[in-house]
Amino acid sequence: MPMPLPPPFAERLLRASVRDPEWREAVSGDLREELAAVAAARGAAAAARWYWRQAVPLAARFTVSRLVPAFTPPRRRRVTVAQIERTSLLGAGWSREFRHAWRALGQRPALSAVIVSTLAFALAANAVVFTLADALYLRPFRFADVDRLILVTSDTTAGALYLDRESVAPADFRDWRDAATTVSALAAAEFWDPNLSGIDVPEQLPGFRVTPGFFELLGAAPVLGRTFQADEGRPGGHRVVLLSHAAWQRRFGGGADVVGRLLRLDGEPYEVIGVMPPRFRIPYGADVWTPIAFDDARWQDRKTGNLMTLARLAPGRSLTDARQEFAAVSARLAAEHPETNRGRGVTVLSFARGLGDDAVGPLLAVWQAAALLVLVVACANIANLLLARATERQPEFDIRLALGAGRTRLVLQLLIEGACLAAIGVAAGAGLTVVAMQSARTMLPPSVIRFVPGYEYLQFDVASLAAMAGLGAAATMIFSLLPALQASRGAGAAGLARGTRATTASAGKQWVRSVLAGAQVALSLALVVAAALIVGGVRRAAEGAMGFDKQQLMTAELNLPEHPYGDLSRRREFVATTLRALSAEPGVQSVAVANTVPYAGGYSQRPFLREGATEADARNDTRTTDLVRITPGFFDTMRVRFVSGRPFGDGDGAEAPPVALVSRALAERFFDGVDPIGRRFRLAADGEWITVVGVVDDVIQDWLSGQRRPTVYRPFAQDPTLHMSVLARTSIAPDSVAGGMRRAIAAADADQPILKLAPMTQVVTDRLSGIDYFADVLTAMSALALLLALTGMYSLMAYLAARRTQEVGVRLALGATPRQVTWLGVSRTLGITAGGLTLGAVLAVAVSRVMQSTLFGLVTPNPVVIVASVAGLACIALAAGYLPARKAAGQDPWAALRTE
Amino acid sequence: MTPPPPYVGEFEYSVLLAVLHMDGGDEAYAVPVRALLEARTGRPVARGALYTALERLETKGCLRSRMGDPTAERGGKARRYFTVTPLGVRALKTMHASLANLSRGLEAVLEQP
Repeated sequence: MPMPLPPPFAERLLRASVRDPEWREAVSGDLREELAAVAAARGAAAAARWYWRQAVPLAARFTVSRLVPAFTPPRRRRVTVAQIERTSLLGAGWSREFRHAWRALGQRPALSAVIVSTLAFALAANAVVFTLADALYLRPFRFADVDRLILVTSDTTAGALYLDRESVAPADFRDWRDAATTVSALAAAEFWDPNLSGIDVPEQLPGFRVTPGFFELLGAAPVLGRTFQADEGRPGGHRVVLLSHAAWQRRFGGGADVVGRLLRLDGEPYEVIGVMPPRFRIPYGADVWTPIAFDDARWQDRKTGNLMTLARLAPGRSLTDARQEFAAVSARLAAEHPETNRGRGVTVLSFARGLGDDAVGPLLAVWQAAALLVLVVACANIANLLLARATERQPEFDIRLALGAGRTRLVLQLLIEGACLAAIGVAAGAGLTVVAMQSARTMLPPSVIRFVPGYEYLQFDVASLAAMAGLGAAATMIFSLLPALQASRGAGAAGLARGTRATTASAGKQWVRSVLAGAQVALSLALVVAAALIVGGVRRAAEGAMGFDKQQLMTAELNLPEHPYGDLSRRREFVATTLRALSAEPGVQSVAVANTVPYAGGYSQRPFLREGATEADARNDTRTTDLVRITPGFFDTMRVRFVSGRPFGDGDGAEAPPVALVSRALAERFFDGVDPIGRRFRLAADGEWITVVGVVDDVIQDWLSGQRRPTVYRPFAQDPTLHMSVLARTSIAPDSVAGGMRRAIAAADADQPILKLAPMTQVVTDRLSGIDYFADVLTAMSALALLLALTGMYSLMAYLAARRTQEVGVRLALGATPRQVTWLGVSRTLGITAGGLTLGAVLAVAVSRVMQSTLFGLVTPNPVVIVASVAGLACIALAAGYLPARKAAGQDPWAALRTE
Repeated sequence: MTPPPPYVGEFEYSVLLAVLHMDGGDEAYAVPVRALLEARTGRPVARGALYTALERLETKGCLRSRMGDPTAERGGKARRYFTVTPLGVRALKTMHASLANLSRGLEAVLEQP
């Protein structure tokens, strides 16, 4: 009968798990012997299964005893010393291991400090970005069942640039509410930023009018008082408000007696009925809520849509169900009311998507990628440094191996050293993160923060700490294992025989280190280019041509309350009085009012319908334009160049024929080369015809678009708005006109608060501050990566030079010139740098392409930036390689030969 | 002065006894030792447990081992033969004596069928 053979894989598994060769032979032989007996009794197939059943637990047991040193069978030839070492790993022995590791780290304090700070900075960068991503993108809304909530919007203007969240007409909302079965509740909200007056300092509070049931839909309950009742959603019963926790603390001292108190909001008395819980600021950082109390006529309105509509999905229904149903209902409404609803679509989004900031995702993704790159560079750097250190300690390891220390033991010790470094690095990184988070919280102006959901959650929390500890542990594994394995593969007694004299490390180890250094150069080049492009983009946005002169310009932004300014003539009166008073102030050259100023981020869009376009054109027309209302002095005050036609005059009043000025971009794009002056257009299908009287140069309205957008300017008197900015061009520092500005506005209405009083330069900076901060952080990260890469390159070269001291001594003694010896070191740097930069340039081009497509045109790939970065990095890297090489070449050959 | 014999556990005690039965002969390797243990105690013995006990006993100096010649029936693998060292015999004696001391006076209970 032939010998039965065991399943090959099972036997290989078993043999791999037994480390001692004698044991391996004995154990596998024993199993084969018994296999023969089993095969004879039960057949080959049963024997093979039997073998698997024996081999797997055996392999598991041997593997465990290998990993847990306490169970490791000692080698027979091991001397007693080694046995004591082994048992010391039990219990109290760990503290000795840590003391040993601590001492080893202390022997090279500079090296340890570099490693710890490298790790700390890389971890802090990652933790900050993770916290930002967590707060702003992953979980900006933290209340129950947020994933069951949806946002429904009407698409009134096709091809609009941004999602118009406040777009639903009241009658549409009612019809949706009556028809929808996929949602269990529907609520609406509209902007209502009331002026709080009758107290020491009048203030405008960010707030919303909401339908009763809004809070129940969101699952929010007040901490004090009650929410709105159904009958408070009718005219007359609606003079009640809920306060946010923050407003209650800030304005009313957090006293429980606030409930029942009367407040003057927009000049009307409102009774406080409750306070919402901390951090509940839905939507958009609201501080006050009052019921929507439309009369029947308003609820019949299908034309003007400014409601934000939220809904809760019915149990068992999905977002897709809701999309289908709302599309069907919307199509039915379009058929029933073609005069208003034709072409009006509907968009259904999840609450988090709908209310989140679209810009946050891509920005954070770029940051996160950069932070991870920094971490990779850091790990490569640390691995490089530790490899150098391990090579240096090779003799020590050889001696310990020869004296009987186990390889497991050596690997374990290096791992413990790595863990110590990581622990200190994580602690230092946590400190850095806390500092960075504090600066992040104070970095953005409140006007921006209001529209960044989740900002209130921005703090260093347990999740970040866990993520950081996880990254730290992963990094430890990465950078400890490589040197640890290489070191433990040492030659033991053979290594001792080779002697402890310093020589160049083995070719394999050098290769690993060169690749690490090259990779660092490549990754930092990509980061440097990314940062340079972003910084360039931000500078262009802040300093580039804007079409107006932001210097010597003071602005005051304000919102008139609907009561008493529901009457248009009261608005005109307010503006006229303010401008008259303001022009009389000293230092003021010219004044104007506009409903929005560039970079304030408040422009509105309208469809642009040219006279003479056919019906079909009008239906398919997706042209939209920005609409700005201005008083006659606007272009003088802003210093916008006039191209042709006439400016607005006092004759373009409320009763005069409707006129407009258009921007050059609009004239070029929408009038097909025809002179637009004298031609007519409308801004709504049923709007009045407006005649173009002139063309002005383009103004960059916003960094986000950063381009010349078609813009229509209308006389403020013909279309007065509640929201406006008062502008003053000054002959003195704009700040010194602030008092005059306040006096002028108070002269028109003493109760009118100013939302924001700032020089135009400040308005631009504030609008850019989000992206500005973003660019700063990215620059810091790329600088860090660059520094790390150079440290890595320098340490590698310095280390190689030091290891080759004797070799260099021999070369010098045999007649090599210092120049030749220097070249020896530099040529190596040259190779690594060239390799790294080639790879890095490819990476950089790819990175700039990705950034161009994700960062809304802020970034344009620029070959000059890439070439300059490559050249700069090459110079610095070569310097890092040259210095140690020159030092080595400058030494005395005889001293070099004698070094041990 | 001779060192005190090391403490051996219950299973190690059984393994030592089984190896002692083989008396350093051709049967003193893992397979027959396990068969003897199972036959005499009536309990299954895990292979891994046996190997661990053998290793540990060798570490404690109670067993000594040598590699035999490779045989064809084992696929060209050698056997690992064990012998009980004098220290192992003393450990057995100590264990045996302490058990005997403990059981003295309990014959009425222990030797009942």
